[in-house]
Amino acid sequence: MKQHPRCTDCENPITPLDLPIPSTLKQEWAAIETRRRFLGRSGKVLGWAALAGLFGEIGLRSYAKAADITAASSGQNNLGLPNFAPKAKRAIYLFMSGGPPQMDLFDYKPNLAAQFDKDMPDSVRGNQQLTGMTAGQARFPIAPSHWPFAQHGETGTWVSDLLPYTARMIDDLTIIKTTHTDAINHEPAIMLINTGNMNAGKPCLGSWLAYGLGSMNDNLPTFIVLQTKTNPKENNQPVSSRLWSSGFLSSEYAGVGLRSGADPVLYLDDPPGVDREVRRQMLDTVEKINRQTLAEVGDPETNARIAQYEMAFRMQSSVPELTDLSKEPQSTWDLYGPDAKQPGTFAYNCLLARRMAERGVRFTQIYKRGWDVHDNAVGMLPVLCQETDRGAYALVTDLKRRGLLDDTLVIWAGEFGRTVYSQGGLSHENYGRDHHPRCFTTWMAGGGVRPGITHGETDDYSYNIIKDGVHVRDFNATILHCLGIDHNRFTYKFQGLDQKLTSPVTAYVVQGLLA
Amino acid sequence: MEAHSKSHRYAKLAGSLLSALVLSALAGCSRPTTRHLDFNQDVQPILASRCFSCHGPDPEMRKAGLRLDLAEWAMRKRPHHPDAIVPGHPEKSELVKRIESKDPHYLMPQNAQGVAKPMSTAEIATLREWIKEGAVYRPHWAFEAPKRPALPTPQSDAGWTKTPIDKFILAKLEKAGLHPSPEADKGALIRRVTLDLTGLLPTPQEVHAFVNDASPDAYEHLVDRLLAQPTFGEQRARYWLDYARFADTYGLHYDNSRDIWPYRDYVIRAFNNNKPFDQFAMEQIAGDLMPMKNLDPLIASGYLRLGVSSNEGGTIPEELRVNIARERTEAFGATFMGLTVGCAVCHDHKFDPTTQHDFYALSAFFNNIDEKPFNDDRPVWAPVVRIPTAQNLGAYDRVLAERSELQSKLNQMRRNSRGLVTQWLASGNKPARAVATDGLVLRLRLDEGKGEELKNSAPNANPASFNTATLKGEWGETTWLWPDFRMQSSTRVLLGQTGNYEAKQAFSAGGWFMFRSAPFHPGSFGTLISKMDSTQHDRGWELASDDGFLSVSLVNKMPKDSNPAEQPKKKGQSEKERKAKEPFDYPTPQDLSKKDLAANKPPEQLKAEKEAAKKAEAEEKAKERSKKDSAEKPPKDTTRQIAIRVVSLTPLPLDGAWKHIFFTYDGSGRAAGIKIFVNGSPVATRVVSDNLRGATIHTQAPMQLGWRDPDEHPAKDARYQDIRLYARALTSDEVDRLPFEDYAAEVATRPQAQWTEDQWHVMSQFYLNRVDPVYQAIQREMVSLDEQLDRLSKGGNLTQVSWEKPSIAYAHVLTRGVYTARTERVEADTPHFLPPLPKGEPHNRLALAKWTVSPENPLTARVTVNRMWYELFGTGIVETTEDFGIMGERPTHPELLDWLAVEFRDSGWDIKHMYKLMVMSAAYRQSANSTPEQLAKDPRNLLLSHGPRFRMDAEMLRDIALQASGLLVEKIGGPSVKPYQPPNIWEEVSYPTSDTLHYVQQHGDALYRRSMYTYVKRMAPPPDMDAFDAPMRDVVCTRRQRTDTPLQALVTMNDEQWVEAARALAERVIHEAGPDTHQRIDRMSEILLAHDAPAPMAAALESSLQQLQRHYAKDRKAANALVEVGESKPDASIPEPELAAWTMVANEMLNLDETINK
Repeated sequence: MKQHPRCTDCENPITPLDLPIPSTLKQEWAAIETRRRFLGRSGKVLGWAALAGLFGEIGLRSYAKAADITAASSGQNNLGLPNFAPKAKRAIYLFMSGGPPQMDLFDYKPNLAAQFDKDMPDSVRGNQQLTGMTAGQARFPIAPSHWPFAQHGETGTWVSDLLPYTARMIDDLTIIKTTHTDAINHEPAIMLINTGNMNAGKPCLGSWLAYGLGSMNDNLPTFIVLQTKTNPKENNQPVSSRLWSSGFLSSEYAGVGLRSGADPVLYLDDPPGVDREVRRQMLDTVEKINRQTLAEVGDPETNARIAQYEMAFRMQSSVPELTDLSKEPQSTWDLYGPDAKQPGTFAYNCLLARRMAERGVRFTQIYKRGWDVHDNAVGMLPVLCQETDRGAYALVTDLKRRGLLDDTLVIWAGEFGRTVYSQGGLSHENYGRDHHPRCFTTWMAGGGVRPGITHGETDDYSYNIIKDGVHVRDFNATILHCLGIDHNRFTYKFQGLDQKLTSPVTAYVVQGLLA
Repeated sequence: MEAHSKSHRYAKLAGSLLSALVLSALAGCSRPTTRHLDFNQDVQPILASRCFSCHGPDPEMRKAGLRLDLAEWAMRKRPHHPDAIVPGHPEKSELVKRIESKDPHYLMPQNAQGVAKPMSTAEIATLREWIKEGAVYRPHWAFEAPKRPALPTPQSDAGWTKTPIDKFILAKLEKAGLHPSPEADKGALIRRVTLDLTGLLPTPQEVHAFVNDASPDAYEHLVDRLLAQPTFGEQRARYWLDYARFADTYGLHYDNSRDIWPYRDYVIRAFNNNKPFDQFAMEQIAGDLMPMKNLDPLIASGYLRLGVSSNEGGTIPEELRVNIARERTEAFGATFMGLTVGCAVCHDHKFDPTTQHDFYALSAFFNNIDEKPFNDDRPVWAPVVRIPTAQNLGAYDRVLAERSELQSKLNQMRRNSRGLVTQWLASGNKPARAVATDGLVLRLRLDEGKGEELKNSAPNANPASFNTATLKGEWGETTWLWPDFRMQSSTRVLLGQTGNYEAKQAFSAGGWFMFRSAPFHPGSFGTLISKMDSTQHDRGWELASDDGFLSVSLVNKMPKDSNPAEQPKKKGQSEKERKAKEPFDYPTPQDLSKKDLAANKPPEQLKAEKEAAKKAEAEEKAKERSKKDSAEKPPKDTTRQIAIRVVSLTPLPLDGAWKHIFFTYDGSGRAAGIKIFVNGSPVATRVVSDNLRGATIHTQAPMQLGWRDPDEHPAKDARYQDIRLYARALTSDEVDRLPFEDYAAEVATRPQAQWTEDQWHVMSQFYLNRVDPVYQAIQREMVSLDEQLDRLSKGGNLTQVSWEKPSIAYAHVLTRGVYTARTERVEADTPHFLPPLPKGEPHNRLALAKWTVSPENPLTARVTVNRMWYELFGTGIVETTEDFGIMGERPTHPELLDWLAVEFRDSGWDIKHMYKLMVMSAAYRQSANSTPEQLAKDPRNLLLSHGPRFRMDAEMLRDIALQASGLLVEKIGGPSVKPYQPPNIWEEVSYPTSDTLHYVQQHGDALYRRSMYTYVKRMAPPPDMDAFDAPMRDVVCTRRQRTDTPLQALVTMNDEQWVEAARALAERVIHEAGPDTHQRIDRMSEILLAHDAPAPMAAALESSLQQLQRHYAKDRKAANALVEVGESKPDASIPEPELAAWTMVANEMLNLDETINK
């Protein structure tokens, strides 16, 4: 491939900073431009380094200075992030869509065995609205977990036999037994935990991070979303692109889907018959003409377009490099297991997530669907756990042995939990569980959180919180905190309001989780 | 409203310039400044952004009792507080002392944590000056009706201005020390205006014709021609579909298809016919309530049905209903009012005067559509209209017009119903006759509205009240006679030994019920009223509904396995099976109006007709039923049943309408002694069992509402009103009077002045439907017209529409927006700070629609012209097109905005007139080239010192690529199409049984239609459009983001559609321009850019071409592969290497900054 001369000597950097105009106006202009494009320092991909290439060092310094000026004077868009030294620079979010049953995995309730098929007391359920699926159920018979639990690690934490690998790293985890949410159905609940709001239109956590913290590399997206191949036997609730959408933030902060198979990023591959040399030559021609246009028309936006085409070209090589696992050593496969060789499996995605962490991707979210076990929980949970247990373990362990866990936050969560009572028929062989918003178990590991603890207590039925509830807003506030962001100060003016991920009700960073 | 609010960029720039002026005025001049501050422009933005969050409209957040958004609050004395504002005396004003203080604890403003965030010197100076000038408050600019301002007279107007618009623009430029730019060259101009008005490029012929037309009105001719093209309507509709959140799926969970494309075609038609905007707006808000000559108003009312919807299994219907009304309210606010009313869902708006009460009063208008909240995962769900096929259109429209006239008469009478009722009573008519209370042992009115105690209002009631058990019920979710009652999952209404009868006792029972089906409960299966012991072989009696079939049973013994109808519902019955079982029946407005009429059909007149129909139907059903029974069900062992059981023959539609369900039993011990009534009229029944033989039905189990203990389901999601039990058999005449007349008689005994809204409603219903002969005659006529409409529309496409319920539009204020936290019940109304609805108008959507486009409405015209401006100039005069509220941007040209708004209204809301006016302006026609001076003074060109230039929207980019290549298929309307899409976009996210799980790409013409026809699945919108900021259509978007990203470059470089277009474009120029390279390049440039290729461009392309030619000559395989991209066949007459090289040149051209920009 022909070496491309990086455009470090931009011929026509039309910028008012060079013009004989009053310096206050220059500052205004620079501030406006800077805020618009760079202050978030992110862009989906446009990095600081790329800008340096574009504008040259002098231009960049001017912009940086202008940014400082703005930072000192402007209220709203002065993000000033991070607010404090972050413990984690990046995050990987393992999203268990459908709602894993907490009492079958982590929330050990030994007393329930004796209450098999007894009615759950009305006092426990209280005034709760049930879903349309079990609201009409005449009885709410208790279904104790089918699986034994055992104590693991130095902490002696109880873990279900369903999760042998997770059990091995239990001392690295920060377990939250008392996560809770407002929504009892998938759509509102999955939007609430991801975007802070039950209704569509708000930016998701990843977009907030991309907006606030920006990119750490200049040839991969800042925020990447991975879908795990669905298992048709499972009850796969849908996910939708609004879960990784940037809402009212600029769409450049939306998550970029990285797909398994060819064309991991949409439209990444050159068309048949176009090789890299042809593409390079095509881009050179386009750039040459665009520079003529810039000189003639004087629209600064043309500069941005030139940069984006260059970035696209770089992505065309960097993404295949990212997804090329051929150089992974045997130890990787020993750790992640045979699944990891199959593109699209959860283990494969975990491995990719580690590679992305190494390459400076700010936020990776892996969706695993299928946890919606309304019936046949006994049949499906072993499958679901087998699919996810080892990958999650391998990811945390791999990050740890590479020294990356210290500044990477790994999050494991679904949108809600499940009921202790059986949906539909209960037998000694099988049961189903309905949605349960009042308490569910999540975990975090790595940068910023305290390993080896279990936070919060639920009642004997894993139905209500007894101590230390963590609302999903608090959960999100805590994640932001680990990444150096004060969720109260991290706002964006939209519809006349200072919008934030954790509004509208007050949210709290859960101090007990922090390292 | 996804637009990226670049908050206050301009306001700040303008603000700092202004404050410089203020400062110099203060510092430099000893005489008082002559320049008065404009409250709206200068002062309010500071107060709003710095003060209102603690001293604004929201009482919850207000500190120290100080409110600064209203003059009377700001100036009023507060005990123990110094005066915040002393007009004329900044030094005495606490506000000034606070903002100037050096004491961090005293200093204002402070943030929520109490940390001071001092104002800038300019802000302080402005507030000081404003107080000095007398602290004059003005209402928020956007809430005062626009008046046509005088045209400014700019000094330097040496023939530059062409329209009144330009006077405003030039005056502002002068103030900023800027000059307008010369007119763009003709090529650039025709390209710009053609793209703006049609969304497509001018053809080279059109460019030549225009460039060579030296006549002075050449441009105007061009504009007129473009406005008359059908592509004009498509281009305008494309924007409107963003404003209306149009999509092809319903957006949540299954995200199945939703067929409402006829709405899209209506929009195109409306723009092409230049339908006046007031009509256009009204039809969308309330088309179903307007007079109709054709179906367009009804199709337009589909606007309200475009929001996201759900059928997720566990969803709670009330929650969904609340969400739907809320979504519509927010959409209406954004589209028509330019207000962010949604902020008031949870609390009073923090900045705008919109209160929570305002929000829910507004939502009430949209809360009264006759629909089920669940969509049943259908492509359309009620209400819908069936659009007649072309050959029936004429006949259909004639009948429709006739019906519409009758409907207007009915509406008129309804509107006057209070007068009619008053008149009728005043002229000495006997009020309605009550049903004798003899034998009335139980009457649960269920109008308590709260609490756990249910009163028994039967005379000498014993017991006089009952308490709900386990959980208390829900009150007031909907209203019929009065706000209703619903049971929670474990609410029980135990009525003790009331109704403890033997079979020889005559008795009657029933009341008002409303069922709505919910997912997993396709039918409202369940008990309505029972006194039955399911532990004792169901001994007792019961009124029940099974999938809408009503049944009455008197049982001594009904072994569980003896009656298939009583067997437990099959477990694991798949949804498919359930669906197959459901009647696939969409109520059309005709059906709904029939239902509406039927509720109170005068029995005498219609009885004969009905009976005949019923009889025929009954026979057929009975035949079917017996066939079915023998085919599908195990043989009934009726010998083991000792019971009487009768079941209605026709199921009730589970449509969420209130129904009066009642039965009488004469004590004969025979099935023939049972009659079932719906809405006062008897319904046909069949006898399932007539085998009681005098056995006892006596049981100790309590009588219950909605349940039969312990394990039968209650009627799912049912609501109840006025439940009665009589210890006698009511006569048919008495039952006929029960639904309305009985209550009307009761109401009539009270003085009219004390009647509530609900009581007036009951009286009107009764009077019109049972007394007024004219009204009834019209109704009968309408029934027959409806039948004709049904017949004439057979086989047509369905589309979703709105259809108003007959009841009063109201909603509840919900604490924090939580659907269960109902507080005050509010009637539909417009926000208090805007003009009121006219007195005497019913508060329904039609009134809202008229109000929206009334001359007094300060917002609609401004908001609409502002969006037109945004479409053409790239930025609105108010940049926040979605927010004209206090926190929205201030208009850059307030007088111009008002001038345009008044012009729009005075022109008869003439849309084409407004676009013409704007594109005829000198401001629009300027060259887009900018100078460093312009960039420095006005980097975003908000003052328009040069012409607009910005990246085209997603759809336009794809469309021009198709058009330039000659692939574009110009066909207007029809179902959405599925062109190329990378694999696995839908599969990756969809529910496995969604009907949009698999994207099945179409072929042929469908690949090359304009992008506005591309199918939009909300959960996974078309990725090529998504990359270019096309909104997901989940919510209203009145301003698209305009980003530059590498993903966009990947689309235009690599997408199959774009590569194919490049090849076709290459073929086109090879054919059209002949063998000469220069001519080919010029041709390509003409096609895409409307001018010849300038020398440097031509040189760059030519050198590229030579390299490419060498490359593809060497690598024929690559050449072959490249030209094979896409489904259209490459032109075999051109050698592949040549075609491949030119394809890449076309790919270069298609990716030029100049191509991508308008």
